[in-house]
Amino acid sequence: MTRCSDRMTRRTFLARAAATSTVAASAASALPLASCAESPPPSPNRSRVVIIRHDALAADGQGPAPECVRELLDEAARALAGDAKAADAWARWFKPEDRLAVKVNCLGLPTKPAVALGLAAAVGAIGLPPQRVTLWDRTSHELRRAGYTLRTTGDGVRCFGTDALGSRPGDGYSADVYTSGATGSLISRIVLDECTALASAAVLKDHNLAGITGVMKNFYGAIHNPNKYHDNGCDPFIADACAQKPIRDRLRLVLSDATRPQYHGGPAPRRQWQWPYGGLILSTDPVAADRVGCEILERKRAAVGMKPLEAAKRPARHIASGEARGLGTAKLERIEVVSIGRAWLDVGQ
Amino acid sequence: MEDIKRTNRREFLRAAGAGACALCAARALAEDVAGNRVTDGAHPQAAVHDAMWFEHLPDKAVRCLLCPRECVVAEVERGYCGVRENQGGDYKTLVYGNLCSINIDPIEKKPLYHYLPRTMALSVATAGCNMECKFCQNWRISQFRPEQVDSLLIPPENLVRIARTRASPTMAFTYSEPVVFYEYMHDAAAAGRKQSVGSVMISNGYIREPALRQLCKHLTGVKVDLKAFTEKFYTQQCAAHLKPVLETLEVLADMGIHTEVVVLLIPTLNDSPAETAQMAKWLVSHMGPDVPLHFSRFHPTYRVKNLPPTPIATLDRARKIAMDAGMRYVYVGNVAFHEGSNTYCPKCGKVVIKRVGYNTDASGLRDGGCASCGQKIPGVWTQEQALAFKPKAAKGPKTSPAPGAAKS
Repeated sequence: MTRCSDRMTRRTFLARAAATSTVAASAASALPLASCAESPPPSPNRSRVVIIRHDALAADGQGPAPECVRELLDEAARALAGDAKAADAWARWFKPEDRLAVKVNCLGLPTKPAVALGLAAAVGAIGLPPQRVTLWDRTSHELRRAGYTLRTTGDGVRCFGTDALGSRPGDGYSADVYTSGATGSLISRIVLDECTALASAAVLKDHNLAGITGVMKNFYGAIHNPNKYHDNGCDPFIADACAQKPIRDRLRLVLSDATRPQYHGGPAPRRQWQWPYGGLILSTDPVAADRVGCEILERKRAAVGMKPLEAAKRPARHIASGEARGLGTAKLERIEVVSIGRAWLDVGQ
Repeated sequence: MEDIKRTNRREFLRAAGAGACALCAARALAEDVAGNRVTDGAHPQAAVHDAMWFEHLPDKAVRCLLCPRECVVAEVERGYCGVRENQGGDYKTLVYGNLCSINIDPIEKKPLYHYLPRTMALSVATAGCNMECKFCQNWRISQFRPEQVDSLLIPPENLVRIARTRASPTMAFTYSEPVVFYEYMHDAAAAGRKQSVGSVMISNGYIREPALRQLCKHLTGVKVDLKAFTEKFYTQQCAAHLKPVLETLEVLADMGIHTEVVVLLIPTLNDSPAETAQMAKWLVSHMGPDVPLHFSRFHPTYRVKNLPPTPIATLDRARKIAMDAGMRYVYVGNVAFHEGSNTYCPKCGKVVIKRVGYNTDASGLRDGGCASCGQKIPGVWTQEQALAFKPKAAKGPKTSPAPGAAKS
């Protein structure tokens, strides 16, 4: 694992962030950018998305240390909220008495455990203890396979799948059917019974039907029948899943693991199409976060000479559907992107 | 209550006796399958089996060619049915012998009324379905993935053995949607034929023609749920399309396999006289007047809880419309005691097969015909007849490609 705290003090980090944001602003054509160190409170009329980049995040293998992620997330949270102190920022979204469920994505290219653990550590700043944070996905088997350490009791961060609830298969889902759009689903009891607040910790990666797997599609893992949500390039089904009332009511924050995103061949891992972007995307707006993530993938595809997702017959239409359902902002020109570190649209060659 | 008034004491006791027999059979079956339970919640590796009917696509994706959905499935993903998964660029079924339901039912429960009356069918299902009907009676298995339901692991040859041991001349692939566990049904039906056990598929008919023709080499009967006769109903209530189901019915008629059709009449959604008349007209012209047609009573469930049960009068009306259109064997189903449950001779009008609940009296049937006037009654009346079935070859030059993985 790579640590970042021993390389950089907070002061030097902020100084570098402010400097690179200026560069990013000039490099990002007409897209709005703001400096993290100077971030005012977000405009009520615009959705803010913070992208923080650091070389330590781009490390291959197990990725960065959770402590490094925590430091960077603190900075990103400050920029997102416009607060001077990270604890004040986290306190905008979570309370010490909350039970926070962090939905990670273990299908194919997974959310790095360090990223999810870094988030759990960061929210500890407001007094939310680790044992009140649960990292979860559909099954414990998938979590273990993705490198997570399972824990259902004790003092640390809890980590288990929906299938760990109850004594029989299927017990982990609601008894009632929840309907959002055309399809009905049972919802994970981790959402319904085990948490008061929800965060989506997804992976930025390509999807063969939807164009992008992001923070919205991550909630396919919160319903019992995601297979019924893949017609028509997953549109409007991704938005429907995210708009399920129990999810929508509890969702406070979204985080996309863009440490080593994948721009083609997803959702299964394909090393040849991953690259060391070294980023984390943080927002309270799932639609805006996915829109920005999609732009990063599109820029990378263009940089390597690949067709845009539209031409590849898998445009990410569900992002607009997310806005139509009132989940957030889909148009880039109405999204305020705060870039910390390297410019967010600098995707390399 | 109106139904019960039509039943006398003797009929009621007879129906109760049939229920008690079924209970005994279920208890015996439980002994047969003890020890086969899958307890870890995940789909067992032994149930993972090469899928039939798919083609490889670039980047390790596959296209499923089993049903009309033709799902394009990336590596690590599953098809719409939830039971077929792309593993490393190859398509696998996760439910080969991974049964979530196993019972011994009267064949009349399927319902098959012209197929070996008064016999039992070893009836099995796995999780999964290639539709999402908002009124599904079995949604607790059909709309679930295999790892989300209790299951037993019973390989095809064991299923045949159980059928023989429990005096079931037929295996019925039913409850959820057997098309999605095609490979298991195919192999079990083939193994059954070799040991004189027939196989019937109780299906929504959502299957592509080549796969259906291959399967029917081993089946001995089919029941198809024709959900409605409008595209609107199929798209809005079932997340599917009408045309492929009608094509399936045509192919079944073309092959000559014994087929019965069931229509669940749901108040206001598919019960208009005009729609019923159109449907009956189509069935007469494409399958002939002798195909048994069942109008079943809807009960509120799953996502359609805002509508009442189908009035008996609606079922009676639909039956009359279909018979007026020329259909000879039209039944009323899901109604415990109803004269529309009986089979009547189209020539002399006498009762040929009387049904009260799942109790069946076939004394009016002799040598496959009416005992009173000798009129032949279409159907499968002996096991020898069932096992002798061979599908007719496809009309025209169309040939079926070999099942399995095809190169795109």
